[in-house]
Amino acid sequence: MVAQPVQKVFPLTLKITNLPSSNSSRPWRIPVRIDCYLSHIKMAGLSFDNFQRNQYIASKGVAMPKATSTGTTIVGCKFNGGVVIAADTRATAGPIVADKNCEKLHKLSPKIWCAGAGTAADTEMVTQLIGSNLELHSLYTNREPRVIASLTLLKQHLFKYQGHIGAYLIVAGVDPTGAHLFSIHAHGSTDVGPYQTLGSGSLAAMSVMETQWKENMTKEECIKLCADAIEAGIWNDLGSGSNVDVCVMEVGKDAQLLRNYITPNIREQKAKSYKFKKGTTAILRESIYNLVDVEETEIPVPMEVDA
Amino acid sequence: MFLTRSEYDRGVSTFSPEGRLFQVEYSLEAIKLGSTAIGICTSEGVILAVEKRVNSSLLESSSIEKIVEIDSHIGCAMSGLTADARSMIDHARVASLNHDLYYDENISVETLTQSVCDLALRFGEGVDGEERLMSRPFGVALLIAGIDENGPQLYHAEPSGTFYKYDAKAIGSGSEGAQAELNNEYHKSLTLKDAELLVLKILKQVMEEKLDSNNAQLASVTKEHGFQIYDDKKTTEIVEVLKAQEAEQEDEEITA
Amino acid sequence: MSNTIASEYGHTDTSVPIEHRFNPYSDNGGTILGIAGEDFAVLAGDTRHTSGYSINSRFQPKIMDLGDDLVMSANGFSADGDALIRSFQQQLTWYHFNNQNKKLRPSSAARLIQHLLYGHRFFPYYVHTIIAGLDEEGKGAIYSFDPVGSYEREQCRAGGAAASLIMPFLDNQVNFKNQYDPATGQARLKTYLKLDEVLNLVRDAFTSATERHIEVGDCLQIKIITKEGVREEFYPLKRD
Repeated sequence: MVAQPVQKVFPLTLKITNLPSSNSSRPWRIPVRIDCYLSHIKMAGLSFDNFQRNQYIASKGVAMPKATSTGTTIVGCKFNGGVVIAADTRATAGPIVADKNCEKLHKLSPKIWCAGAGTAADTEMVTQLIGSNLELHSLYTNREPRVIASLTLLKQHLFKYQGHIGAYLIVAGVDPTGAHLFSIHAHGSTDVGPYQTLGSGSLAAMSVMETQWKENMTKEECIKLCADAIEAGIWNDLGSGSNVDVCVMEVGKDAQLLRNYITPNIREQKAKSYKFKKGTTAILRESIYNLVDVEETEIPVPMEVDA
Repeated sequence: MFLTRSEYDRGVSTFSPEGRLFQVEYSLEAIKLGSTAIGICTSEGVILAVEKRVNSSLLESSSIEKIVEIDSHIGCAMSGLTADARSMIDHARVASLNHDLYYDENISVETLTQSVCDLALRFGEGVDGEERLMSRPFGVALLIAGIDENGPQLYHAEPSGTFYKYDAKAIGSGSEGAQAELNNEYHKSLTLKDAELLVLKILKQVMEEKLDSNNAQLASVTKEHGFQIYDDKKTTEIVEVLKAQEAEQEDEEITA
Repeated sequence: MSNTIASEYGHTDTSVPIEHRFNPYSDNGGTILGIAGEDFAVLAGDTRHTSGYSINSRFQPKIMDLGDDLVMSANGFSADGDALIRSFQQQLTWYHFNNQNKKLRPSSAARLIQHLLYGHRFFPYYVHTIIAGLDEEGKGAIYSFDPVGSYEREQCRAGGAAASLIMPFLDNQVNFKNQYDPATGQARLKTYLKLDEVLNLVRDAFTSATERHIEVGDCLQIKIITKEGVREEFYPLKRD
């Protein structure tokens, strides 16, 4: 069934109070037309109302809008008593850099963080949704959320959508059972391991992990390793760039987000100044419309009663 | 001339034991039978002049075409079997047009001359399946006059495929006398006007008939106007100036 | 409605063989930029060579000195660009043989390149070509070409990956588009830029393109043509 748009015109009257200089009690009448799809409100989850329409449009040769797929480098690595995740900060739309300093480290709960690669909107939304559910779950159970629980929620959600939600995640955190590190692919498969890399720069990052990683690292060693792995992505993968963000989760401590931990790509000064003289942008045409009639009336000063 | 006639003059591409290509040499002889053509190069431009042999009073002299345009900046005069020149002129025009097409500039006079001469030896068996174009060497020589960034230039192209650059050159039946006269009269500071008179004066000396606009044709290549064939009126005017000059000289000789 | 049968769920029709086709083209990124001045011309390009998200080389200069005070670059699919420049150089050698070592003018070079490109009208060189030199009057000359040979002499032109980022900047800064004289209210008069101003513009264009285009970066190569000849400068660009 294709949802039919229901068009209704509501006669709405908005009464605006608190208007400072208005002492008239006459309500302002503003006609408002509201077009809305009522059918999908009944259904839970994502709306596929436009799916058939879009397929039809696409079959007529109209290009569909492309979602911003972030070429990315994200990594995670465990150390003695905790876990570190890190990410670059470049967001791309095709070959264009859409954001030079975006945040790819998302909070699922205070001590469980998640690095996201893939479609930017998907990583953000899925992370927020599961973050909310995780908090609800923790409220229900009156326990600190566990990393494995967030992993399960995420993979079940992603599997349900058969890969159409393009989120590739590295989930890490500390909970009462210790420090954990996982990775999840968009179709719902998950991996466990002492170090993980994901995104277009995952090969560059993994090359660092595979050569530098060792067992029983200290926190500092682990941060250095993760930052180096991200840097490998920044330099060698075109989808990754700008800065390194790091998040350290240590057992028994608050998670620590080290935003812009390394900034190796600060823009140099421009050779020339591009200040324009005032008036360089010409006013080609000017038109002023009177939207309200302004009436000026002189109010006689009231006589002083006192004195 | 060749007292020891042998079989070596039959094949067009067969050397004689003395290392001569008789057919090519004979083609040079054919040119000596042609009408006289003269070219003079000055700093202002190049002048070409040819003798037209009007054999019959019923012949329309304007149909004798011995000076032709190759491009707006190059023209040529011919002597010998003028029918052979058709394919050479065609080739030259294509070469010039192609150069303009590929380089957006006028072809240089030397490059044009070279490309015409490339044709001259295409009578032999072709290499690599290259088409054999002709059964014999050309029987015509060209005086190619033109102007490019190196200024006005005059080239002489022979059926043997060789070409030389000249300040002044005469070809055809009257070439011997004309060339001797050119050697005497030519100097670097010649103006275009001087050259017009000189070329007609020499032509007159080597021609059997009386010189007029019917049996002589002039053309020039200048920076300002490019290649131009002189019309009968202009030719007549120059002939008149020449006559007046000669009359003056005779008077001087008489008084002296 | 009739009952759904299982096969209706399948969306791949396996009876049709899948056709795999060889794609003869690829895109090696990079950007080039040419600006003509009154008595000079510059042609600049970055030296990054890419395939997809990978960097093949951080230093693969693509502005070529052709001799005869001409420089050329063919940006896009680098194999085609190299082939085009090679065949141009061969044609140039032949031009010298046939034309008494005459110096090829930019206008003639442009026409020749048009023929080289149009010769591949139905299997084009996948490149945006720009040449720079000095014309007969000694004025800077930039000629730019589309992949099949349409060409035009211009004051400035950007080509390649970040062309769409740089070109509007050039329109504004070189040809003063959308700039008005505050005093008169008239469009700002066109004037020739000095060489140092142009070099600053080129550097800013490339540092800015590097910021916002992933295929631009590593190193900036600038060739400068003046009556003294061709000179070359290099500047580092960001490597991320």
